[in-house]
Amino acid sequence: MKKQLMKYLALLSLAGMISLPARAADTVKIGVLHSLSGTMAISETSLRDVLLFAFDEINAAGGVKVGDKSYTIEPVVVDGASNWPLFAEKAKQLLEEDKVAVTFGCWTSVSRKSVLPVFEKDNGMLFYPVQYEGEELSKDIFYTAEAVNQQATPAVDYLLKQGKKKFYLLGTDYVYPQTTCLILYKYLLLHGIPPENIGGGFRKDDSGKVISAGKYVPFSYTDFQQIVADIKQFAASGDACVINLINGDSNVPFFKEIAAAGLTAADCPVVSFSLAEDELRALPTKDLVGELGCWTYFMSINTPANKTFLKNWDAWLTTQSYPGVVKEKRAMDSPMVLSYDGVYLWKAAVEKAGTFDVDKVRDVLESGDITFDGPGGKVTMQKNHHVTKDVFIGETKANGQFKILETFPQVYGEPFLLKDLDAKLTSK
Amino acid sequence: MKRALIFLLTCLTAGLFCLTARGQETSAVREKLSRAVLADGLEQQKLVSELGDTGSKLVHDVLVAWTRDNVFLYESGDAKIPVLLEDQTDADGKARAINIADGKFLLDAQKRELRFAPTELASADTDAALRTVIQQTLDTLALADSDPDARQNAVLKLGNSKKLKNLPVLQARLARETDVSVQRSIKEAIAMLQLGDADPKIQAAAAQQLAALKSIGSLDMVKTLADSKTAPPEVVKAAKSAAETIGEHISFVNILGTIFRGLSGGSILLVVALGLAITFGLMGIINMAHGEMIAVGAYTSYVVQNLFGTGFAFSINLPFHFFGHPLGFSLSLPGINATGWFYETYFLFVLPLSFIMAALAGLVLERTVIRFLYRRPLESLLATWGVSLVMQQLFRMVFGANNVQVSSPRWLLGHFTLDDVSFGYNRVFVIAFAVLIIIGTWLLLTKTPLGLLIRSVMQNRDMASCLGVRTARVNMMTFAFGSGLAGLAGAFLSQIGNVGPSMGQLYIVDSFMTVVVGGVGSIVGTVCAAVGIGTSDQVLQQVTGSPVSGKIVVLVCIILFLQWKPGGLFSIRSRSLD
Repeated sequence: MKKQLMKYLALLSLAGMISLPARAADTVKIGVLHSLSGTMAISETSLRDVLLFAFDEINAAGGVKVGDKSYTIEPVVVDGASNWPLFAEKAKQLLEEDKVAVTFGCWTSVSRKSVLPVFEKDNGMLFYPVQYEGEELSKDIFYTAEAVNQQATPAVDYLLKQGKKKFYLLGTDYVYPQTTCLILYKYLLLHGIPPENIGGGFRKDDSGKVISAGKYVPFSYTDFQQIVADIKQFAASGDACVINLINGDSNVPFFKEIAAAGLTAADCPVVSFSLAEDELRALPTKDLVGELGCWTYFMSINTPANKTFLKNWDAWLTTQSYPGVVKEKRAMDSPMVLSYDGVYLWKAAVEKAGTFDVDKVRDVLESGDITFDGPGGKVTMQKNHHVTKDVFIGETKANGQFKILETFPQVYGEPFLLKDLDAKLTSK
Repeated sequence: MKRALIFLLTCLTAGLFCLTARGQETSAVREKLSRAVLADGLEQQKLVSELGDTGSKLVHDVLVAWTRDNVFLYESGDAKIPVLLEDQTDADGKARAINIADGKFLLDAQKRELRFAPTELASADTDAALRTVIQQTLDTLALADSDPDARQNAVLKLGNSKKLKNLPVLQARLARETDVSVQRSIKEAIAMLQLGDADPKIQAAAAQQLAALKSIGSLDMVKTLADSKTAPPEVVKAAKSAAETIGEHISFVNILGTIFRGLSGGSILLVVALGLAITFGLMGIINMAHGEMIAVGAYTSYVVQNLFGTGFAFSINLPFHFFGHPLGFSLSLPGINATGWFYETYFLFVLPLSFIMAALAGLVLERTVIRFLYRRPLESLLATWGVSLVMQQLFRMVFGANNVQVSSPRWLLGHFTLDDVSFGYNRVFVIAFAVLIIIGTWLLLTKTPLGLLIRSVMQNRDMASCLGVRTARVNMMTFAFGSGLAGLAGAFLSQIGNVGPSMGQLYIVDSFMTVVVGGVGSIVGTVCAAVGIGTSDQVLQQVTGSPVSGKIVVLVCIILFLQWKPGGLFSIRSRSLD
């Protein structure tokens, strides 16, 4: 038995020695920087998985073609461990030691903010795939993520069209919900909703200017009795809705309390910006039927492109043998698809530039000509590093999928909304 | 005789006539329903809203089924036939299809009944706009519903509609309505609609009526009217005073609601901390694995729920190999596939089972780790902390790193409303539950021989031992009992919060806080501390308007309090604590 084992080992190492130099000639290293442990691991491991899927797909189709050579992608996966300073360290490692051509990564805004100086210093390139608050534009980051005007404001437009007159703002207390709610507060004012019809409370600075709108709870908060009672009173006069920016597992006690209070989606719908198909797997979807979501991709999109994509993904899941990739009960959602789209946008740009050089690839990406027909429809990289894409409003079904209610085609991603809104409000 | 015969005949014909009329009416309704399902866009919405006048139970059933995706389209050739599937299914899970248009079963060419599984047929789609119309139609139907609650909801919706055309429907209903609370709602709805009347006298009277009814739902409307610059002065005056009255009522509701929420918040703290009050308070073990005992209870409810459903299976693969064989362990328990009310009773089985499972876990922990550390509290802190990490990892291996879904039984989901304060069943249940386990614990400690032994061992272990008490056994039983109580807490927490591997960490700090504030070693103290902290937390949340600052104030108060009374509310002098 032992002898056999030794033989295998010897063979393996031999095989490794032979294959390594052969591959090293035509490979390009790509960094994957996500939390594979800690609080955020639940969401971020899915992004790692879909990136590996995209790399395998590209490699199987012949790799990245630069000039007359094809390069095989070699992923360098590092773990940010839900630890923001560690994200910066790992980014440094990817850029300075591994010398990756591009990095795909980060989920929370705070992790992005912590790696940003590293990428700026070392002239790296980062693709960021998760919906965020905007008000940022770094030459080294490409935001395939939904900007606020590709998720929050379309959702509000939809609710206004449904005749909603009162909006309750609620979120987890950190930069993304705070900024988004402030933008929404101004957006609602601009659309003729008076401040008394915007629930959740305001915080004003000394001059009386509103600096924060909405009700905020800490991460992992569980006691929503008071907040739901508040919402119930707010909604008693009808035509009300809740804008929910609660992140993570606090959503479970929140929706259980909503159900126990007898608030239904028909009386007072809740539109959530952080609940996609992947998160719904761990939620009691029975209590969530009819509540709304707004994303640039839904698993239920009924196009041949999406169906093929999901079929390939399932096939890859069953055949792949990466350690730690769960094979069963997987879902696909918007951040995952935007990660996937990012890989192909980068590939297209590299092939057009004919080099992996960061500055040249950036110039091509900034030209505004790079597009990709992704599973969620056509995506185009804009001059301002954001992406034009379709936006969908959907409502939750009992099986954890979304039924698409409305589509906003090809929405231009605009990161800076606050200034514009302020200007419009003062002129009004 | 003859006359009687004629009378009888007349009756019969009349009856027959009625029957056929009924039949015609039903078939017209059925035909319309079927057309409504097949139509689309505005035409569809119009057809559906017309169905509201029929007052038919059939319409209600079909519309409800439609919104739940249970109306299916059977395609025969080019034509689509809307059908419902019978509830009763055969062995293959297939059911007979009822044609909505005529109420008959669908037949194939050989006149045999067709059978379908729900997945074989496309369901008739609905969208948000259509569902709104369906909902309005259901409301109109619901005004005649036999259930007062359904009637009340329907009335309130019509009241909010701001459409004066709904007024006659409501007034007609008011004349017939017998239920007092529904009558009140109808009056409220009528007044709300009348606020939009053209006649200032009616408007002012409506505002006064709303003030008398203390209608919270109408506050926005009343306020708009009070601030209105175009409305006649007498209307504005009436509206202003109405807004004031309603505002006062809201603060009253808030105070009452806060007290209730404080009690329920306190009860949760109490349920969570009571186990610790025994293991830490009485036994003096700094038990950092208390949170994981809670998680054991919560996961027990998850497993029991699955056993009542489709079964439970898990497998653990260890990352080691034993002579080339992967080491692993897998277990699969078949479910009993319970449905209906029997499934809903699963939670009644959860309660004792979660107690037993957590008590067993506690027993093992006591026998293997804690019994060596009775005289060394700091080591017990480290050891139990280590145990808690091991247990968390164990949960991850068995149940996965993600949270698991535990759905609440229906009887814990609803709520009832008293004077505009709503009481959730789950919250009422936790208060009752807390009271019950407090009484149970108190009885056990003071009225049973075991309780006597526990108290004697906790007061002075050596002396009890000298007197012939088997202290090791009593320690074991006490620790298991405390852990069991934590398990019960977990079973309850699975109904209101998350069930996940690290859920215990959320509650451990609160538990220690409650026990320390109450006074280590005193159960009464724990009760008072839990209710006190819970209520002041809710009150401060209400006052400061923010969940975080409320909590901060509570914690600061606790620190100051412990500076003043380090022993807690009820400090006990006992040798085991010296």
